[in-house]
Amino acid sequence: MTSESRIGIMGHHYRRILFFLLVLLTTLGAMSLLSVAFQDGGTRPHELVMLGLYAILTLWISASFWTATIGFAMLVTGRDHYAIANADTRAAGAAPSGPFKTALVMPVYNEDPVRVFAGLRAMWQSLVETGQQDGFEVFVVSDTRDPDIWVEEELLWRRWAKEMGHPARVFYRNRVENTSRKSGNIADFCRRWGGRYRYMIVLDADSIMAGETLVEMVARMERNPKVALIQVPPVPVNRSSLFSRMLQFAGSLYGRMFTAGLSYWQLGTSNFWGHNAIIRVKPFADHCGLPKLPGREPFGGEILSHDFVEAALLRRAGWRVWLAYDLGGSYEEIPPTLIDYAKRDRRWCQGNLQHSRLVFARGFKPLSRIHFAMGVMSYMASPLWLIFLVVTGVAAYFQSLVEPVYFFGNNILPVWPETYTVEMTTVLWVTLTMLFLPKILALVLLAAKPALSRQFGGLVRATLSVLTESLFSVLLAPVLMLFQSKFVLAILLRQNVGWPAQQRGDHQTGFAEAFGTHLSHTLIAVVVGFLSYQYVPSFFWWFTPVLAGLALSIPVSMITSRVWLGQLARRAGIFLTPEETAQPRVLHLLEQNLERAGTPLCTTATGGDLWYRAVVDPCAYALHASMLPDETPNRRRRHYLEGLIFQLQDEGLGSLKPNEKRALVSHRDGLFELHTLLWAAAQPPSPGQIAGVAASSGAIHQ
Amino acid sequence: MDSGIAMAGQSGATVAVADRSPAAWARVSERVALYLRALGIEDPLHRERLLVRVQQRWEARVSAMPLEDPVEAGIEEAYALLDAWLCTELDITGEIDTLFTARAAVLSGAVPNWTARFAGVSGESIAAQVRAAGVQPEPEPAPLDMEPSTINLCCHDLGRRITGALRVLAGSEPAAAPPRKEQPR
Repeated sequence: MTSESRIGIMGHHYRRILFFLLVLLTTLGAMSLLSVAFQDGGTRPHELVMLGLYAILTLWISASFWTATIGFAMLVTGRDHYAIANADTRAAGAAPSGPFKTALVMPVYNEDPVRVFAGLRAMWQSLVETGQQDGFEVFVVSDTRDPDIWVEEELLWRRWAKEMGHPARVFYRNRVENTSRKSGNIADFCRRWGGRYRYMIVLDADSIMAGETLVEMVARMERNPKVALIQVPPVPVNRSSLFSRMLQFAGSLYGRMFTAGLSYWQLGTSNFWGHNAIIRVKPFADHCGLPKLPGREPFGGEILSHDFVEAALLRRAGWRVWLAYDLGGSYEEIPPTLIDYAKRDRRWCQGNLQHSRLVFARGFKPLSRIHFAMGVMSYMASPLWLIFLVVTGVAAYFQSLVEPVYFFGNNILPVWPETYTVEMTTVLWVTLTMLFLPKILALVLLAAKPALSRQFGGLVRATLSVLTESLFSVLLAPVLMLFQSKFVLAILLRQNVGWPAQQRGDHQTGFAEAFGTHLSHTLIAVVVGFLSYQYVPSFFWWFTPVLAGLALSIPVSMITSRVWLGQLARRAGIFLTPEETAQPRVLHLLEQNLERAGTPLCTTATGGDLWYRAVVDPCAYALHASMLPDETPNRRRRHYLEGLIFQLQDEGLGSLKPNEKRALVSHRDGLFELHTLLWAAAQPPSPGQIAGVAASSGAIHQ
Repeated sequence: MDSGIAMAGQSGATVAVADRSPAAWARVSERVALYLRALGIEDPLHRERLLVRVQQRWEARVSAMPLEDPVEAGIEEAYALLDAWLCTELDITGEIDTLFTARAAVLSGAVPNWTARFAGVSGESIAAQVRAAGVQPEPEPAPLDMEPSTINLCCHDLGRRITGALRVLAGSEPAAAPPRKEQPR
């Protein structure tokens, strides 16, 4: 009996019916409690609004709650009959045969090249340790526009390629035009070299994957020819600030329950998270070319969050998409501060809201529609909570204006007004339970699995970590709610987000940055706190957790960004993760590579403006020129380049913008002309002083 | 690059010259020697021999046409000499990418003793080493078709379609002319 038959329709339906029934019943139960409280004298319009909002929000949090709870049950029992880990469906479908290659595809866009190549080298070293590296190749597909980073990428690529020797296993290309951003970058790779590979493992600039994981991903794909994509959940690692260590702890401890739970009900209609996933290249090329959506940005135009759409398109075409929650060795790095986290959210928010147009598009599987809707809700939940709080506050205010009447008509006995404190308190407790119970379940999981518990620093420290993390979650949640509400509003007002590079690596939030970012939050807390205390004092006390988070946002943002606090917590065993307790080999290799990262290939090309060295330094110049396409610029382009050279001569290096510098080093002919021109200048370049030549003199040729 | 860019490289202070006197070359040779050193040619003997050959090329160029900038011409000739040698060494003609790869290989220091061969001091071919040291950034193309998929949005252009249908019903528009339907690619 093959696993394919076991992964039968019945099994899938049973799991999904159970999950959605639990979610629905929980939502209905919570709604009925609230509606009982509202029905005193008929339901008023604002109560209807509150009921509607509460229904949506409860649906959202109960889905998360049941996902985590089911995941907890799966991890405690260790049973999952339908996991992709156990599946072997070769007999059910025509399995491709013959030798094949897998590409580790690293799309980059103005990222830190040292970190990118250190990570790739670590993955390769880990792969070599498995002895299975022969079937793999590394492909850096760069969309980098910054000319200095571009040249540094080339130098680092060349050094590594030289060390690897023959046959060539590491490739690099920089796209001339970066159309359609990351999805366009991957599509370009498929169009040009897709036929070379059966699989590609898509990475991100901060991805790290262990060699055994890479090998196992390929093995699982080989065992299941109808599977087009397996996503391995990345665990956040390697950051040191208090904020990021909290997220790492939460991601590692609660994340494992959530991913197990997601896999329980999503099964072969799981989602693609954009990286740390293996993809069957041919069906991806056949079905995942992304169209432009009609209309203009932010809802029309290019699809920004391509991953969900690609998974949905694969499912629409009949291919399966799995989440390998059981597979470790998949890591990513996260933003180091609250502000950086919010900036990343700003980009993701636009992409996810764009999916609202796809929820009802024709042809998608129902579960793919749910993925789209959940993506939208992950950002829409914030403004909905905000509206819910505002409506609740306004309702409480009007309620406070009503004078209770105890005696009606000729009644001599007072008629006490009905109170619904019990129902309202129950609603609150139900909501809080759904939000916080998964954290308690995580501790129960640790108690049930002592070995795992030790990896989190032991049960006592893990409990302290959960309590501290919960406290900070309460403080940070209102701030994130306001951030996300602002983002949603900006997007609804059709403000585009652009494509800024992400802030990676540890850095700390200064007072000026925190003050500028969170001043509005603090003012809102003061104003709302004053108004509610003045006019609805009873509501004020209920509202204090939200107000406290906003009022303290400046110090909390600064404190949580501190690396020393994160390190202090680590020494105290707080927020420990398994990856910190026993560093995985591949992360150790990454650390080593970063320490050893030193001189790029061309020894004179160290420091300073690398793009300029690619013009002047013969080694860097020859390497860069060898990697440019052999094409002559058209007449218009030539005139443009001439203008830039005049500008360089007359106004010096500092006058050129990054895109102009890039233009100057983008054509072989123009590059050669600049190279000889600078070497013929009155003051010749010399090693160690190369960058200063034109920058200091202004005029190059006198 | 066409002469336009070459002209653009001049500040305007220089004038066309056809001076191939020893004094003129002396000014040029100083810079060319510096450039050869930057190419990685450390041995003074190698540099001397190469300077002689660059000088020959430079003088031929001066004789053929007036120069805008003799120093720039000297640098260009040094580079052209390197390219010519690589083409001969590798026995290639017109294979631009191979030439560029080979140039990157030797200038990155991946080929030991290449300067001796370039200067004509060594008689031993290093073609195999140059080829072996060359690294192609991209593999051979293996293209796949990847056309944009069709996503039919629900309710897209609904207002226009309803208006069109109402116009048809009202008789203000012939039924043969369907409402415009923008098909998302």
